Amino acid sequence: MPSSNNKHHLEDYAPIVTSGVIREIEELARLLGPVRIVHVNSTKEGGGVAEILGWFIPIIEELGMKVDWEVITGEKDFFTITKKFHNALHGQPEEFTEEMFAAYLDNVGKNAPKIPEDADFVVIHDPQPAAMIGEYPDRKNRWAWRCHIDLSEADLRVWGFLRPFVERYDGAVFHLPQYTKNLMAPQFIVPPAIDPLAPKNEKLSEEEVSSTLHKLGVANDKRIILQVARFDRLKGPFGAIEAFRLVRRWYDCCLILAGGSATDDPESQAVLAEVQDMAGDDPDIHILNLPPDSHREINALQRAATVVVQNSRREGFGLTVTEAMWKAKPVVGTDIGGIRHQIIHGVSGFLTHSVEGLAYRIRQLFGNPGMAKRFGQQAREYVRNNLLVPHHIRRWLLVFHSLRQSGNGDLITLPPHEITE
Amino acid sequence: MAKPFQFFTEQGIVYYSGYKADNLKALLTGLRGVPSSSIFYHLYHSLLRRHFTTTDYMNDFAQWVWGVLWQKTLGEKLASFDPLEFTRLRDARARLIEIVDAYVGETEYFLRVSEEQAFYFLCMKSFVYPLGVQASSLPELMQALRVVSPQSIFYHLIESRLRLREPSNDLSDWLKTQLDMPDLAATINTFSPYEYNLEELRNKIIAVVQDAIK
Repeated sequence: MPSSNNKHHLEDYAPIVTSGVIREIEELARLLGPVRIVHVNSTKEGGGVAEILGWFIPIIEELGMKVDWEVITGEKDFFTITKKFHNALHGQPEEFTEEMFAAYLDNVGKNAPKIPEDADFVVIHDPQPAAMIGEYPDRKNRWAWRCHIDLSEADLRVWGFLRPFVERYDGAVFHLPQYTKNLMAPQFIVPPAIDPLAPKNEKLSEEEVSSTLHKLGVANDKRIILQVARFDRLKGPFGAIEAFRLVRRWYDCCLILAGGSATDDPESQAVLAEVQDMAGDDPDIHILNLPPDSHREINALQRAATVVVQNSRREGFGLTVTEAMWKAKPVVGTDIGGIRHQIIHGVSGFLTHSVEGLAYRIRQLFGNPGMAKRFGQQAREYVRNNLLVPHHIRRWLLVFHSLRQSGNGDLITLPPHEITE
Repeated sequence: MAKPFQFFTEQGIVYYSGYKADNLKALLTGLRGVPSSSIFYHLYHSLLRRHFTTTDYMNDFAQWVWGVLWQKTLGEKLASFDPLEFTRLRDARARLIEIVDAYVGETEYFLRVSEEQAFYFLCMKSFVYPLGVQASSLPELMQALRVVSPQSIFYHLIESRLRLREPSNDLSDWLKTQLDMPDLAATINTFSPYEYNLEELRNKIIAVVQDAIK
């Protein structure tokens, strides 16, 4: 998801995705009409959902729609319970009592925002406000549940509790097919997008890339293997170091592990210390613990990299993979989760299953600069065609059209209109 | 006076069909049971999503069988499947089933993959609408081709075979019937999306239209 608060206009993306694509989106919006859309989540500040809505809503409004952004409120207990829901839906073990489920419903009944009657579409984000739909048994508008969570290993108790509510929606929206459940309502797939105009992805001059590397203490004089990820065991930083050491027997290169470690997360601090310990005093391993707003630094590192790796053990839709692909870098990633949907093996990068496989593919790319360049170009094209802000907007407009036209089959001709030119 | 050629586009949103396959037999079951829009999505629309990879292109079925199930022989058969040979989805589906069924019949052991690696049959809800761009002559056509999206090129050049149920495309049809240019129509109909990506295809058409104007 775009990482900037900078607001851009849809037209700003025309030089990237072509004006033809922008025109299609504008037409799609025009055919939808001046509808009213209400989004409900649990916070307006912080977190991925708030970040997405921050850039999504202005563009949708610019397309002629009215958008309300409401949040569900609650006491600390409510959010403690919903945090446990969140963890359990991710597959983590959590303890629940009947009182917790009752308290959740009680809060939703008391504190859910009121949905205006003239709203055409209501989009409820994640589990916190999911049960709100129960408060509107006679609703006339169309409701969608946007789930940002990987439900593939969801705790059955929590899912069993939420499911009857989710079944009442007119549609559910997931990042990946693997996250879907068996539901009666249609389950749309809308993958996350990146913003090519955000500081993390915008074009940088070679001078800025060089000076950033210098500032970060990285000499730009040898091949660079880069992994951008927070310091977390699930991101596979130790395997990345092992792979680097295997590659270095063949090629002079360095490894950069760039990420952040939340100060309130003792686990990430411990992992960072272990990674630093494993790297020892090797001058070719750079462990960069960067502040959360280091967007331009990450951008420069991705642009300087020869090969980008994502050695995760578990990953949803790894946005750092999309970001690297957008910078025309060949990416070698673990054959799991969303990475499998992002990288086309042997076309835009490689999918691997082991440290040895990771090292082998990095070597292959180092030894074949032509292949690396072709992979990078194809990776960028894939992102340019599928995973940028305009594609995200288009998919959501199509979700709204689908909700409106539910039951009308899979091929729908929208009303023709007067030819304007 | 020629009837103008009106450019349309098709935009689709993907949804889960409820079918998934973790082995070849389940793939076969899915191929038999899914709605037609799923066959369209995995066989035809995959070309639009990865149109820039013309030389490495494989449809979604071939990609999964090759890269996840490691069934190279079947992968090759599916990769060489040319959807443009078919003018009806049901015929394309029948041929796919025939290929997979024959392979399953000859296979003794079936690799089963994890849920995460399973093939999820996706459907596509498609919306067709005019772009507000039209052409009544070759110069206007050239101008229009420059501004329409790759999706529109895909809709008129590739998907139209399924709509027209003819081994042609509607741009060629228009050139033949409205502008009386059968040679230009035939030339455009020979351009293959497996040889050129959609941008190249657009440029190829613009080039031949330009030549015809001269």
